[in-house]
Amino acid sequence: MGSLVVFGILWIVGSLLGEWGATAWIDSAPNGTGPYFGTASNLGLVGVHAFDFLIWVAVPIFVFVVLMILFAMFKFRARRDENVTNAPSQVRNNKAFVGTWIVISILLNLLIWLHPNASGLEQVFAAQLPANNPKPVVIDVTARQWEWIFSYPQYHITQSLNASGQDTLYMPVNRPVKFVLRSYDPFHSYAHQVDVIHGFWIPAFGVKYDVIPGETRILYLTATKLMSTETNPMARVQCSEVCGPGHPYMEANLHVVTGSQFAAWAKAQAARG
Amino acid sequence: MAQPLTKEGPDPETRRVAPLPPVLRGFLWAAIGFIVFAALAAWLDPSRVSPYITAVGAVAGWFGAMIGWLLGIGGYEHVVKPMMGYPSPAVRTSGWRRYYEYALDHKVIGIQYLGASTGTFLIAGLIAMAMRFQLMSYRPTLFHYPQNYLNAVGIHGTLMMFTVATVAMVGGLGNYFVPLMIGTRETMFPKASGMSVWLVPLGVLTVAMSPLLGQWTTGWRGYEPLASSDGSGLLYYYLGVFALTTSSLIVAINLTATILFKRTRGMTWNRLPLFAWGILTVSLLNIIWLPEIQTTFVLGMLDKVMPLNLFNVFGQPLGYEYLFWLFGHPEVYIVVLPALAIWSEIIPVMGRKSLFARPIAVLGLVFVMLLSGMVWAHHMFTMMRFSEMLPFSFFTEMISIPTGFAYLAVIGTLWNSRLRLTTPTLLVLMSMFNFLIGGLTGLFLADVPANLQLHNTFFVVGHFHYTIIGGMVFSWMAAMYYWLPKFSGRTYSEFWGKLGAIWVFVAFNATFLNFFILGLHGMNRWVSVYPKYLQPENFWTSIAAFFLGAGFAINIIHIVWAWMKGPKVKENPWDAKTLEWRTSSPPPTKNFDTLPVVVGSFYTYGEGVPDPVEIPVSEMETKGSPG
Repeated sequence: MGSLVVFGILWIVGSLLGEWGATAWIDSAPNGTGPYFGTASNLGLVGVHAFDFLIWVAVPIFVFVVLMILFAMFKFRARRDENVTNAPSQVRNNKAFVGTWIVISILLNLLIWLHPNASGLEQVFAAQLPANNPKPVVIDVTARQWEWIFSYPQYHITQSLNASGQDTLYMPVNRPVKFVLRSYDPFHSYAHQVDVIHGFWIPAFGVKYDVIPGETRILYLTATKLMSTETNPMARVQCSEVCGPGHPYMEANLHVVTGSQFAAWAKAQAARG
Repeated sequence: MAQPLTKEGPDPETRRVAPLPPVLRGFLWAAIGFIVFAALAAWLDPSRVSPYITAVGAVAGWFGAMIGWLLGIGGYEHVVKPMMGYPSPAVRTSGWRRYYEYALDHKVIGIQYLGASTGTFLIAGLIAMAMRFQLMSYRPTLFHYPQNYLNAVGIHGTLMMFTVATVAMVGGLGNYFVPLMIGTRETMFPKASGMSVWLVPLGVLTVAMSPLLGQWTTGWRGYEPLASSDGSGLLYYYLGVFALTTSSLIVAINLTATILFKRTRGMTWNRLPLFAWGILTVSLLNIIWLPEIQTTFVLGMLDKVMPLNLFNVFGQPLGYEYLFWLFGHPEVYIVVLPALAIWSEIIPVMGRKSLFARPIAVLGLVFVMLLSGMVWAHHMFTMMRFSEMLPFSFFTEMISIPTGFAYLAVIGTLWNSRLRLTTPTLLVLMSMFNFLIGGLTGLFLADVPANLQLHNTFFVVGHFHYTIIGGMVFSWMAAMYYWLPKFSGRTYSEFWGKLGAIWVFVAFNATFLNFFILGLHGMNRWVSVYPKYLQPENFWTSIAAFFLGAGFAINIIHIVWAWMKGPKVKENPWDAKTLEWRTSSPPPTKNFDTLPVVVGSFYTYGEGVPDPVEIPVSEMETKGSPG
């Protein structure tokens, strides 16, 4: 009984300390983004809330098992020169403990499935409804081996390039963007046998979506922070699904700019042709 | 019907007519088989581009090599000729040479599997060291082209999964210990078992040599449609995995039949040792899912050779991915179930305490087995329809409940025990810690909104290395130290054992905790080069990884030393109750002079608990056995 009380106290104290440390970690950056980084979009914010919540759930479980391992190593350890003797207690079942364990593990799993998973998914699904994304900037994203190509049909930009001729993604902040994701090669006649899956990923936005040959997939996204690859290397487009030898190099620069900067950039790009 | 393990016959030295040792003859016959079959293919299907080595010829030649290898290694004398009415020749029952030939003794076969797994662990581990060396810099250093690096990743993953993770504890420890633990003298199908182990070196060499045929970049999963346009080496990835999975399938059939039909008197299902339960559930998973992945790989291979357009835009681009993970997720439970079972095997012995909630521990293994086929598409959250996300995240969360039962049983047993903190105990506790981190990070990955960020980053790589190395490899090491006195009658040095355990534990966590941070920082998988801001973290991760590699080497050297030269130890040094300890160490060829009879539970300790095993004194027992 004595060990049980000590264990209980240590577990509560350890969990509280753990939760305190986790919260400090989570709050070490604005909006609870401490450990997560990928939060500069509406979808990324859903992810970070899930991540933070799960850290709080995981801490007491982690402390419970680790404390039990430490108890086994120090409290229940057989003395070195003691002869091998049976443990004094030979409890082979404890209905209260087993029952509590099973009930708690079922409830905990149902909880984290409902929240943050199902509740977060509801937000993700809602964010993908066209009605919730008025007046989006449409960006056609074409993935080929191994290049990201961005075109802006509303602005008559067929391929957005920077001064050195590299593909660049510009998008306005706080305005819905409709990414139209396709995998093919606009520079050659279509070769079905070399068309592969790519992953459209912007680490800073906290979201990725795969680009499947033969399918057109839509991703609605709203960037919430001004950023560019030059100032934040996580603000980049990176292929996340292995797509052949050029996969590590399949990235593009990203600029999230204000509405007026975006309009000026689009005008200049369109003028370049 | 009866398959005697030994036969009175001429001395193996004098009866031998083959001029070459079996392994060398296997290589020679494999080369002949390759040349013959490849030539046939070149004759039937001539290529205008290449006169001899073509995709079709390489596949046909491989099958010729497989036939030649299996015949040369002993299949000719021991399988083919007896089928035609010749008497079965004797097999060697002593000396080191028996490990390099066809064997019928499940213990020899088990050690052959363990040796193959350990050797492959070293090869694939060295590849991992090379990968970490490359990742110390954000620009190409060791691997000058990304395809070299990606090919290394693929070979590392394929070998580790199909030759180490799914083989060491099943083909190796399972073959060696299950018959001993259930009290039988042989397995159900010793001849098939003796052949199956030789598919392992064939599969390993095939996968390891595959770049010679053309570099491939898909990683161990061989995702389509990339695979169909990728290097031809993928053909040997499919064929190597075919050999390895066939080997595991034969092990599964053999051990399932052995557990079902060869248990000794009194070995009821309620008394069956936990490790045998683990092997039984794993074997059922293997019997269900290995044919599925083999079929998928046959489709992938045909698609690559023909091509049939099965998995590109004219077919179903995601079809392969669904088929792959339908096997791929049960696969990780194939890896971890024996590990969970080992915990319940070692802790009661070391803690001198009855196993807590044994029925729950068994139910945990069974329910993990049942649920494991319902979670697989969680590898594809970034690819699938929205409507599929909710059910697959549901079952993924739910499988942690039966997995938790393994913890429930061990924790209940640890409480108020008299725990002897030996090296196996320490490794089990470390394994529990590592697998806990692997499981808890799984919560984050099972959450779909967070998964859309974490998927295909180093967070995932960290997660599955925590479950596989942390869970399975640590438990494998625990089992090796625990059973070392059984293997050889010798024991290890407690100092070096503990030092080795602490070394790998510290280095392992220093390496793979970093993976989570790297993943959150935006480090994605399958890259040999990466943005510069990730370099400092990668550098220190690599340094820790090199320490981890050295730690594994120390443990392997220590175990081999103890096996050969370690101090002699008494028959049952841990005072364990299961049947493998009721015979001499190392066990004689026929395991038991008299088959023991089980009259009680192996997992009940305490004052006045009667011995669970009775050795019958009547002569009836020995008469029934062959020889």
